[in-house]
Amino acid sequence: MVSTKLYTIIYVLLFAGATAQILIEESPIFHEAYWIAFGGIMVLSAIKAVMVAGWYQHLRFEPRGLSYLILTALAAALALTLAAAYSIT
Amino acid sequence: MTEDTQTETDGGHATVSGELEAGHEEGHLPAYGSLKRWLVTTNHKDIGILYLATSTFFFVFGGTLALLFRLALVSPAESASTALLSGIAYNQAVSAHGLIMIFWFISPFAFGFANYIVPLQIGAKDLAFPRLNALSYWLYATSGILFIVSFFQGTTYDGGWTMYAPLNVPVYTPEVGTTAAVLALLMFVVSVTVSSVNFLTTMHRMRAKGLTLRNLPIFTWSILLTVWMMLFAFAALLAGLMILSADRLLGTTYFTSQAGSVLWTHLFWFFGHPEVYIVFFPALGIMAEIFQTFTGRRLVGRKWFIAAMVLVALQSFLVWMHHMFLTSINLQIKTLFMATTIGISLPFDLMMFSLIYTMIKGRIRFTTPFLFSLGGLLLFIVGGITGVFLGAVVLDYEFRGSYWVVAHFHYVMLGGGTALFAGLYYWFPKITGKMYDEYMGKVHFAFYFVGFNLLYFPQFVAWETPRRVFSYPPEFTIWHQLSTVGAFVLGLSFLLMFYNFAKSYFNGPEAEDNPWAYATTAEWAIPSPPPLENFPGLPSYASGKLDFMRPTATADGGAAVETDGGAAATVMDEHVDHASIWPFAIGVTAFVTALGLSGFRQGVPNDPTINPLYSAIAVVGGVALLASLFALGRQSFDGPTGGYGEAWPFAGVENKKTGVWIFMASDVVLFGAFIGAYIFIRVASPGGWSEWELIPHEALPGLIDTYILLTSSFAVVLGLVATEKRSRWGLVASLVVTVLMGLAFLISHAIEWIPLFEEGVTLSSGSAASTYFLTVGLHSLHVTAGLVIAAYLIWRSWGGAYMGEEENWPVEYFGIYWHFVDIVWLFLFPLFYIL
Repeated sequence: MVSTKLYTIIYVLLFAGATAQILIEESPIFHEAYWIAFGGIMVLSAIKAVMVAGWYQHLRFEPRGLSYLILTALAAALALTLAAAYSIT
Repeated sequence: MTEDTQTETDGGHATVSGELEAGHEEGHLPAYGSLKRWLVTTNHKDIGILYLATSTFFFVFGGTLALLFRLALVSPAESASTALLSGIAYNQAVSAHGLIMIFWFISPFAFGFANYIVPLQIGAKDLAFPRLNALSYWLYATSGILFIVSFFQGTTYDGGWTMYAPLNVPVYTPEVGTTAAVLALLMFVVSVTVSSVNFLTTMHRMRAKGLTLRNLPIFTWSILLTVWMMLFAFAALLAGLMILSADRLLGTTYFTSQAGSVLWTHLFWFFGHPEVYIVFFPALGIMAEIFQTFTGRRLVGRKWFIAAMVLVALQSFLVWMHHMFLTSINLQIKTLFMATTIGISLPFDLMMFSLIYTMIKGRIRFTTPFLFSLGGLLLFIVGGITGVFLGAVVLDYEFRGSYWVVAHFHYVMLGGGTALFAGLYYWFPKITGKMYDEYMGKVHFAFYFVGFNLLYFPQFVAWETPRRVFSYPPEFTIWHQLSTVGAFVLGLSFLLMFYNFAKSYFNGPEAEDNPWAYATTAEWAIPSPPPLENFPGLPSYASGKLDFMRPTATADGGAAVETDGGAAATVMDEHVDHASIWPFAIGVTAFVTALGLSGFRQGVPNDPTINPLYSAIAVVGGVALLASLFALGRQSFDGPTGGYGEAWPFAGVENKKTGVWIFMASDVVLFGAFIGAYIFIRVASPGGWSEWELIPHEALPGLIDTYILLTSSFAVVLGLVATEKRSRWGLVASLVVTVLMGLAFLISHAIEWIPLFEEGVTLSSGSAASTYFLTVGLHSLHVTAGLVIAAYLIWRSWGGAYMGEEENWPVEYFGIYWHFVDIVWLFLFPLFYIL
């Protein structure tokens, strides 16, 4: 499906992404603008997740139905999490 | 097919073309009269009968409990000493009645029909995973037995069927029996999850050619949507029950934390409201099916009816907080959920009018199935209208916790569920090959309908009676006495049904293949009862009606058939197995394990103990469970392949892979609910999100864990590449690296946790510690399960297995799971170590 080379590149990017998250935590922005840092760190996690799902799990090469299936589940989990958290603010 | 067609309904008209021999007969199954058959069978029709029989037992059990507390309510019992039941006995009877009827009766009863009928209606030989289907049943049956056992372990669960926190934690309900009841429910939810994966794979992948979703029979449509809701809703309940079990067994503090009780209501009702439709949709599908048959008229506005069902299934996940108007959630969200609740009533209006118009346009035959369906429709309409009051915030303040809710709830659940009894009469001839006594069936309906309304309608009048309390104001006595009389009329009416069915089964007239004029779905085109593998050829709707195609011989003895993906598939002469003892063994050993775990009482304040006898039972059960799972994995068993007809939206994704992905979707919601619970508790904590103190002292160990897990994922993909290159040792090396990395990940956690434990930071140390240990622990449990699978793959690949693209699917599917575990960690890492 895809080459070992591409798998390796993704592996390196995932490594770099994880390291970047720690670097953000170590930087002054983490304390000065916590929510921006929060957003950056979570976006990095999301990008890494998409890379793993897309290439390592081969979702990119599967029928779209499988992606929609997982996205629906994700939407359900997010709806529960966000609405529940908002409900007590 | 047009709207004017009077005799042809959805799915096309069933005819058999040509003289075709029946499929493989009986396989290696023992005869019906043998007990062994019922222990080993994996055939969908047998499993359907098992579900129907077992759920009927629980219906009688739950019903008897109801009669017991209705007797107690004959008088107001102004003090506990004058009551027929003691306070605790009353609470147990009411709680157990609710739990049994909701979980162990009504849905499994519907799934008896789903098991028996859906494969017939879609043209499949069996479900996609027959052994998993048997496993679902045995987990269901043994979970029910565990619930019964809980009565004999002190007390069973007595805090109401909704299991609200904090009553559900050991401070208030410390009994072993209560824990056993929680674990029984957890086992039941596992059974439902397995079943959901199986049905979704089957219904999306194994439909006959030409049977597009649009043309699915309406009962099958209702089951399809039911199962989709089950997949996501029960995952949230699973999370809730796992957390509750941890609170009870391990001593975590989720539901005693700040806003812990509101957390339970979120998790419970995110499941609980879709559950209303999970219960009602199969009944609705039966109703619609029967209306078509006994009016001789296609469902009016059929496609809109289906669209309305789809809309309700989606909306059902957006209304759960209307059950929480009396909690501390804010007014904005209450208002929003009041609007969504009113919104969900609109598609129901459409469905009700569709059913009514179908009657008006058709010529009604008042048979027993039709009478029960019509009765179900009327009762559900009453239930729906009285529910609108509860959807309004202000009115709900008044009605919540009163008998208005009790009456409304029963009009919806059992009222709608009345159609399930219609289904029993409707398909009795198909399942048994015998015709029931029509007159006796009608008498049953008369007593049922009168009894039902006598039981529940007075509860609207006496609505100010407090719910779940053994006493009430004396001025309501007459209404409660009427209600009790109604309960006995309703309950005893079933004696007529049992007698009718028993007499008909042994002495009744033979039923024709299709005893109902105008019944046109596929199950009526084959003998009553159907043969083991259902059809005398490959079902196809390609011509616009149901035909059974003769297979075209191919070199390997199979049949070449065009699929919707355009590829040819070999299907007809495939061998399908029908017997395995391991699902039964897994059900029994899971029961023993759960029974043993019920004796773990780490959550009991001031007395955290683990009973040695229970521990021994848990260990023996656990070892036997693992051995049974291993034996199931090792067993050679051929299920139907699917993919030879309509398979949207999973065409080209074979059955097992589809099943794995559907399971992953359920796991997304499970982990999502765990993470959601963490975020909720953190937001609700005294200092809010920002003041929360992370349990790990530094982020670096988490980063190392991430590196380790990423490396293990990389090793798995290299292993897959090795299988494509047919490199046996490449695969072995990759899997060994995966296992080593997985072990390193677990050891790394141990290194992090031991100092924490030494500092006195344990699962019981508060919200931060509980959420950290339990969420990361659940993830580690997934890693451990993955390692067991990987070890098995190493063993097989050492012997040369999995080489080439045709054979490497176990490695690929393991990878899907392992990468998912990796993805989850990518979010746990920042949430628990950085932010």
